[in-house]
Amino acid sequence: MTEAAAGPNGSPGTTRVSIASGPLVGPVLRRVVGMLAARADLPLDRLDDAVLVADLIATRAPAHMQTGSVDVDLETGDRTLFLRVGPLRPGGGEALILDASVPGVGNVIEQLADDITVKPDGESEYLLVRLAYAS
Amino acid sequence: MPAHAFTRSWPADPALIGATPSPVRLSLPAQPRNIAVVRRALEAIAEELALPRRLIEDMRLAVTEACTNVVRHAYTEAEARHASAMRVALLPEADGMRVIVEDRGRGLGPSPDAHGPGLGLPLIAALTSQLEVSHSADERGSRVAMSFIEAA
Repeated sequence: MTEAAAGPNGSPGTTRVSIASGPLVGPVLRRVVGMLAARADLPLDRLDDAVLVADLIATRAPAHMQTGSVDVDLETGDRTLFLRVGPLRPGGGEALILDASVPGVGNVIEQLADDITVKPDGESEYLLVRLAYAS
Repeated sequence: MPAHAFTRSWPADPALIGATPSPVRLSLPAQPRNIAVVRRALEAIAEELALPRRLIEDMRLAVTEACTNVVRHAYTEAEARHASAMRVALLPEADGMRVIVEDRGRGLGPSPDAHGPGLGLPLIAALTSQLEVSHSADERGSRVAMSFIEAA
C-alpha cells in the first residue's frame, strides 16, 4: 500500500464513491450517504438532511465535475458526516453551491450543512460539506 | 453452463479497476462494516435496473462473500484501514450485472482460523453465471470478477 489517501477530514478511512453521470448517481449516492449518516449516529432528522444534500449533489454536481463522473469522498466522525465532492472544474464549487438554491426555499445545502468550504487543488477544486448533530 | 476460471493473472497495474469502464466504483477500507456499504450500492443499482428479486439476493450473497474474503484474508489490520484497500466496480449490463472486487494485499488464501478450504469461492461460483478469480502478476492482490445474468 503506497498511496497516502486522506479523507475529507484529513484522515484515512474514507469511502470513495465514483458514479458515472446519469441515472445511477441519485440512487447510489442516496443509499451510501444514508447508510454512513446512520453509522455516524446522526439522528433521523439529520439523516434526512444528509440524504437531501446527497440528492442535491447528485442532481447538480454533474454539470460542475471535471470528469464524466460524480466523485464523492465520505467519512464519518462523532455524530458528523464529511463529504468531499470533486474534482470540480475551476469555479465549480461556488457554482454548485449556487445551484443548490430552490425557489421559495433558498439555498438548501447552505441551510442544512454545518460547514461548507471550497478548497482549490491545482487546476481543480473540491466542495467540502460537514453535517453534524450537536446534542 | 456457468463458466468459472480460477487461475488467470492480470497485469501488475495498481489502477486496474480505475482503468475498467464502470458506472459505479467504490474504494473503501477493507473493514467488515464497509461490506454493507457495497451491498447498499449494489441494491440501489439492482433496483434501478428492476432486476428480479432472486437475482438480487444471489448478487448480495456472492458479493458479500467476495468482500468478506478481502476483509479476512488480504491485509494486515493496519493495511486494511487504507482508503482504497478494497475496490469494487459495479457494471450494469443488458441482462444483469458484472461486479469486480479487487484488493492489493495478500490475495486469497486460507483463514488462519479455518480448517481446510472455505466455502466462499464455491458458493460464489454456484451463484454466478461467470466467475473469474485472478491474482496480480506481482503477487500483490486478487481480483474476483462475477457476472450475474437474469435467467431467460
